[in-house]
Amino acid sequence: MLNAKIPEGDLEHKWRNYQMQSQLINPANKKKLGVIVVGSGLAGAGAAATLAELGYDVQCFCYQDSARRAHSVAAQGGINAAKNYQHDGDSVWRMFHDTLKGGDFRSREANVYRLAELSAPLIDHYVQQGVPFAREYGGVLVNRSFGGVQVQRTFYARGQTGQQLLLAAYSQLYKMKRAKKVRMFPRHEMMDLVMLEGKAKGIIARDLVTGELKRFAAHAVVLATGGYARVFRLSTLAIGCNATAIWKAHKRGAYFAAPSFTQIHPTALPQTSEAQSKLTLMSESLRNDGRIWVPKKKGDGRRANAIPEEERDYYLERRYPSFGNLAPRDIASRAAKERIDAGYGVGRLKNAVYLDFSQAIGRLGRQTIADRYGNLFKMYEKITGVDAYEEPMQISPAAHFSMGGLWVDYELMTTIPGLYAIGECNFSDHGANRLGANSLLQASIDGYFVLPNTINNYLAGALQEDHPTTDHPEFEKVENEVRDHIEKVLHVKGNKTVDHFHRELGKIMWQECAMSRNREGLEKALVQIKEITDAFWKDVNVTGGHQEMNTELEKALRLADFLELGLLMCTDALNREESCGAHFREEYQTKEGEAVRNDEAYAHVSAWAYDQGRFTLHKEALTFEHVQPSVRSYK
Amino acid sequence: MNVNFKIWRQDNPHSKGHFEQYGVEGLTGDMSFLEALDHLNERLVANNEKAIAYEYDCREGICGQCGIFINGRAHGPHDHMTTCQLHMRSFSDGDTIVVEPWRAAAFPIIKDLVVDRSALDNIIEQGAYITAKTGTAPEANAILIAKDLADKAMDAAACIGCGACVATCKNASAALFTAAKINHLNSLPQGAHEASKRVMQMTKQMELEGFGSCTFTGACEVECPEGISIVNIAEMNARRAKAKWWG
Amino acid sequence: MALTGLFLCLFLMVHLSANSILLLPESTARALYNSYSTTLRESLLVKIVAYVLYLSILLHVGYGLLITLANQRAKPKKYAVNTFGENSSWTSQNMGLLGTMVLLFLVVHLANFWARIKLGMGAGVGMDAQGHVDVYEVTYSLFQNLYFVVFYTLLMVPLGLHLHHGLKSAFMTLGFYHKKGLRVLAKVSLVYAAIMAIGFGIIPFIVYLK
Repeated sequence: MLNAKIPEGDLEHKWRNYQMQSQLINPANKKKLGVIVVGSGLAGAGAAATLAELGYDVQCFCYQDSARRAHSVAAQGGINAAKNYQHDGDSVWRMFHDTLKGGDFRSREANVYRLAELSAPLIDHYVQQGVPFAREYGGVLVNRSFGGVQVQRTFYARGQTGQQLLLAAYSQLYKMKRAKKVRMFPRHEMMDLVMLEGKAKGIIARDLVTGELKRFAAHAVVLATGGYARVFRLSTLAIGCNATAIWKAHKRGAYFAAPSFTQIHPTALPQTSEAQSKLTLMSESLRNDGRIWVPKKKGDGRRANAIPEEERDYYLERRYPSFGNLAPRDIASRAAKERIDAGYGVGRLKNAVYLDFSQAIGRLGRQTIADRYGNLFKMYEKITGVDAYEEPMQISPAAHFSMGGLWVDYELMTTIPGLYAIGECNFSDHGANRLGANSLLQASIDGYFVLPNTINNYLAGALQEDHPTTDHPEFEKVENEVRDHIEKVLHVKGNKTVDHFHRELGKIMWQECAMSRNREGLEKALVQIKEITDAFWKDVNVTGGHQEMNTELEKALRLADFLELGLLMCTDALNREESCGAHFREEYQTKEGEAVRNDEAYAHVSAWAYDQGRFTLHKEALTFEHVQPSVRSYK
Repeated sequence: MNVNFKIWRQDNPHSKGHFEQYGVEGLTGDMSFLEALDHLNERLVANNEKAIAYEYDCREGICGQCGIFINGRAHGPHDHMTTCQLHMRSFSDGDTIVVEPWRAAAFPIIKDLVVDRSALDNIIEQGAYITAKTGTAPEANAILIAKDLADKAMDAAACIGCGACVATCKNASAALFTAAKINHLNSLPQGAHEASKRVMQMTKQMELEGFGSCTFTGACEVECPEGISIVNIAEMNARRAKAKWWG
Repeated sequence: MALTGLFLCLFLMVHLSANSILLLPESTARALYNSYSTTLRESLLVKIVAYVLYLSILLHVGYGLLITLANQRAKPKKYAVNTFGENSSWTSQNMGLLGTMVLLFLVVHLANFWARIKLGMGAGVGMDAQGHVDVYEVTYSLFQNLYFVVFYTLLMVPLGLHLHHGLKSAFMTLGFYHKKGLRVLAKVSLVYAAIMAIGFGIIPFIVYLK
């Protein structure tokens, strides 16, 4: 059993108790301690900036050309905080409860409580950094509501909340760069982790411009590398998002928790061709006024507007009368998949459902709808060329957020001493399903507030140790391993492109390890992924060399890791014989097709250890002292 | 549809680039422009040729990493759009599409269509922040900001840092980029305390990076994916004048 | 650039209003125009302003040249295809070219008048009945030459374009950012530029036809 090192005391006092007992480092000593932060999103930039402010010597890495590009930018909707500004009965406790329940009781009470507790000061922080949150005429902050909750606790900056928060973090980071407390390494991708005497002490990174492999040493390494839903190839993620850093850490000994918990977002734009590279997300807020339907007749070839009202199946309203079109993400996605698989899908590839605003426009007028969603309608038209005021949008579920990630304890440290994982790349707060507007929150809390208060507890002990340097033979050894790996990819010189194999992997993952899973399919997937992996190493073609900018090589190296991660995801999904949150095993459902959770056997976090291509399961028991797990019902 | 791409190829910052012609078949109007380039790259790799380097990340118009000069315009033929949002339906069967990297002395070419825009980060570094350490903030609603002021700050803050303004400007001026950031922070009460320092330092860095000066052609606001108004530049000039003469 | 430009704009207004005397019937025009120009030459204040004017022209041209060179350094490599007509006006993209044309005009114009009257170069200038230098005659005789009439009229087109873009952007350079004000300014710039171009452009023709 894994020990998450949850502090003593009442839920309300755990974080305070922790801080009171953790070791401190005096300011003069902090500057002798180096920290590597990989990733510059909300978690990474927030952590790097804050650690630098505290006095640590920080090196921060990102694969993009600038820290400002990290995929935190893409979050549109908002960020939750228990401020209770709307006087609607919100509190830290209620937010804790909503998040724990939203995650289908597969997360740690103490972590979730801390997330809710620190949400209020986080909003204070962002306002002070100049984030232009929406305001009332009188000057106070505005809130709106989001899926899965009954209060208004979401703060937003137009349709650009993620972008604005990231710009705040990025500018704070560059403030510390100017102060020479942070060294920035954009266009550098972490290739492997270097450990000295069992502790994380550095990384090997590839300079994406010159191809040079570089060594970096520090007293601790923080991974803030985001989600890995690109394993499905088609996802709402940025094209460059990848699992390489956490996967390499996993192979060096960090446990990987709940890898198969992936959120599938119900309102993305459908795939239109094989060549498609990305599924664009349309904000969840559209479901407030849009009604989702498919034709009642299978394979109905008529245009949407030609299908009369009585021949439309508003399946969410039919199945979940009390929540209707606002059912939570996992439920809405699964219901769409059920209809599409049964042959009722619409669109050219019959892979979409309609999101229809005609009645809302009739009721509220076109202008009101334009005021509420104008930018989204415009975006829809830019991408599809269709005017959604005139005909319904076509939407489809898409892989979105990774609840799973490196297993971390209460201090956000992985099972490797000195290696931390923060933000989406860890498994900490969302359980089996994340609530809308909680991802910006978790990334920020981890980076700004939690890590800077826990890393000292470890680094205090590092003061007595030798200063890690890149001259150590271990650095040379790992660098050589990385170089061999790169050369191995380049030397295959087969006949197929990297994208070909990525499409193959994506198809299997989407079919067998996304919205609904079953034993037979997962077992088949494990075999197929191994076949694709073998084919990849026999037949992939990567042109160009490694001593130059080579985007094909970058893709190939990332895919090599996705192939291995795909195996672990299917292994995890196969192992968890229950349905919870985003993990829906077809064998465990009610007659009406609702999820059946098994708290007796599976009230634990599955954390996987890697050993020579084999995965061993370790468990962290989840105990619920303050909220009793109940059945989530949205009927 | 079939199109004829005429693409700038350049191996590294020091080599002399040239245009290369590629006929590409089997595209559809639903494909994005970048997907059409992906498609071309797969074909090049199949022929054992080097793939064309170009930038992108989010492919949904917000990260600002993509940026190509297409048929004589930054981000292609439409106003207020990023390269990743451009779709092939904007072109006709048989078209020749000229594809060039951003051109500016401050944006040296790294490879093919990839340029180095770190000059923009350097401007940010010189003051696009509010000096307040994590943990020092007062209660959020203690700072009241009228809605129209917050909205105006948001208009300016919307910049995604793609560099299209520089790319399209005949002088390669970064005035719109710099102005947007300065106006965002200087108009808010939180940013007022270091307003003068910010505008002086950032505009100075803008000049040091080798960007040209603004002559108000207005091309930038048309190519800006977020439609940030050129009036921001006039406002920056006013703020700069005030900082310079009155401190 | 903006300050000198605005000063030159102001000067053009004064210049045009004086030139409009030329539109009057010959008898009144000659006396009025000559006495006006004598007053100008003898006033100390106007002399000072004249030096400011010379300086403005030199600075505007010199600084314009420097900025153009610096801007070219900022964009050393041009695009193979650039359809800037789709995102900006031709005028705004070619202020340097337009300015050069205006400068060319200015050189000819100064040679025709300033050099002859002030420096005494070329044919001598007579006196009118009131004993004033007969500037009117200089003007009148010049515009009997159709080539000069066409030259003076045609080059008012680049002047008008230059003024149209120059006036409004000068205000923006100086930090005028009031949104409504800028909309008004855009119209004012257009009207101002049109009056200047048409006003200056039409006078040679009328004088020719007299």
